[in-house]
Amino acid sequence: LLAGAGRGAAFSTAPPPEKKRWLRAYLELQRLQAPPQRRSEKPNWDYHAEIQAFSHRVQENFALDLLKTAFVNPCYIESEEARRRQLGLDKDAVALQLQHNTGLAERGLRFARAYLAQCFEGAYPELPAKGVEALVNFLTSQELVSYVAQNLSIQDLALCRDFPAPPDVLQRTFLAVIGALLESSGPERTGIFVRDFFIPQLIGKDLFEIWEVVNPMGLLLEELTKRNISAPEPRITRQLGVSTVLPVYFVGLYCDKKMLAEGPGETLLAAEEEAARVALRKLYGYTENRRPWDYSKPKQGLAAEKAISSN
Amino acid sequence: RYVRQLQRLQLLFSPTAADARGARQFVEEAAQDFARQHPDVVLYVSPHSGPGPAPVLRAEYLNGTVRDELIASKTSEEILQLATKLASQSGLDIIRIRKPFHTDNPSVQGQWHPLTNKPSSLTVQGPRLQPQ
Repeated sequence: LLAGAGRGAAFSTAPPPEKKRWLRAYLELQRLQAPPQRRSEKPNWDYHAEIQAFSHRVQENFALDLLKTAFVNPCYIESEEARRRQLGLDKDAVALQLQHNTGLAERGLRFARAYLAQCFEGAYPELPAKGVEALVNFLTSQELVSYVAQNLSIQDLALCRDFPAPPDVLQRTFLAVIGALLESSGPERTGIFVRDFFIPQLIGKDLFEIWEVVNPMGLLLEELTKRNISAPEPRITRQLGVSTVLPVYFVGLYCDKKMLAEGPGETLLAAEEEAARVALRKLYGYTENRRPWDYSKPKQGLAAEKAISSN
Repeated sequence: RYVRQLQRLQLLFSPTAADARGARQFVEEAAQDFARQHPDVVLYVSPHSGPGPAPVLRAEYLNGTVRDELIASKTSEEILQLATKLASQSGLDIIRIRKPFHTDNPSVQGQWHPLTNKPSSLTVQGPRLQPQ
């Protein structure tokens, strides 16, 4: 009777026995040492809802099937087919009906480069082609694009073979997203998207950090001959601590006895080079006190259409 | 453009525990309206049956931070307030702000350095010296 009552009581809702005190530390260590997993393999993940949330977060209307194609990388397709072949499925079942994103990525890259080049040519008309190219290369470089993609949660949505996703995969996925937006909403909205996400990465950056110029003095001479100004004459304006370990020389460049630019440096050569760089910054209009970028809504759609036609 | 930093909210609660009553009321009444008003946040509702850990609202942000907020013995309105507060936060760590002021343009006319107001060696004017 007592045994029956005991067994009957075992089926009531008793709280499960808690983990032993001596086991908790080991389990905690196991949890902390577990290898990092994709977010899609952790509980609570709905791919379709996440993609819809992504399009709302970025405030753009995407064609959802184009967007889903944009997140599929070729390495993912290969790894999935290899896995299915390993599991011994037929050849028909092995072939995935997914298309990868290389086409969209190429289109996105071409559009982004053309649009950014056009933006810079419009904003800094004096900047030579090499400078514009250097700026566009910096903005479409792997590190920058993968940094922007990480902070927009693209690394959770992208389907790829390795985890965490390598930067070139993230770059390809983000450019494919731009390509998908181009197909869905047209060049105008994609231009605004590229402007809103790429151009703020230039804030706080100096022109010659991005564009490596080996001989600024030579470049300055070329620019001045183009504008018919005589060659600059360097003169020491100020100097401090000449006989110490850390001297400071301010060298000014004078054209026709009028000051063009002044730059500091540790040695006279360094100061002259810095003065040439300051002069180039002034000529190209890329000084620190230039007008900030104009992010207002564009009224004409001609700019983005020109970008498309020039591809 | 403004990108909301909150990625997803996970509401983990138990359907029978007493302290999850507010969570259950929130799910019945206000969760759908909240999800409709914030279309860029994915709201996951996962009731785990049986006695388990305390009801928690887990917020994940775009920079990877995960914040757990206990919602045990809270009313539905309080949970709604908490959810809207989490939706407007960024994922940066909540630490003590050292200074209540910050400026991006600390100097308008250029920061002073020891050579700012010294005359240049090229144009030294004095009672006897003439400018070169």
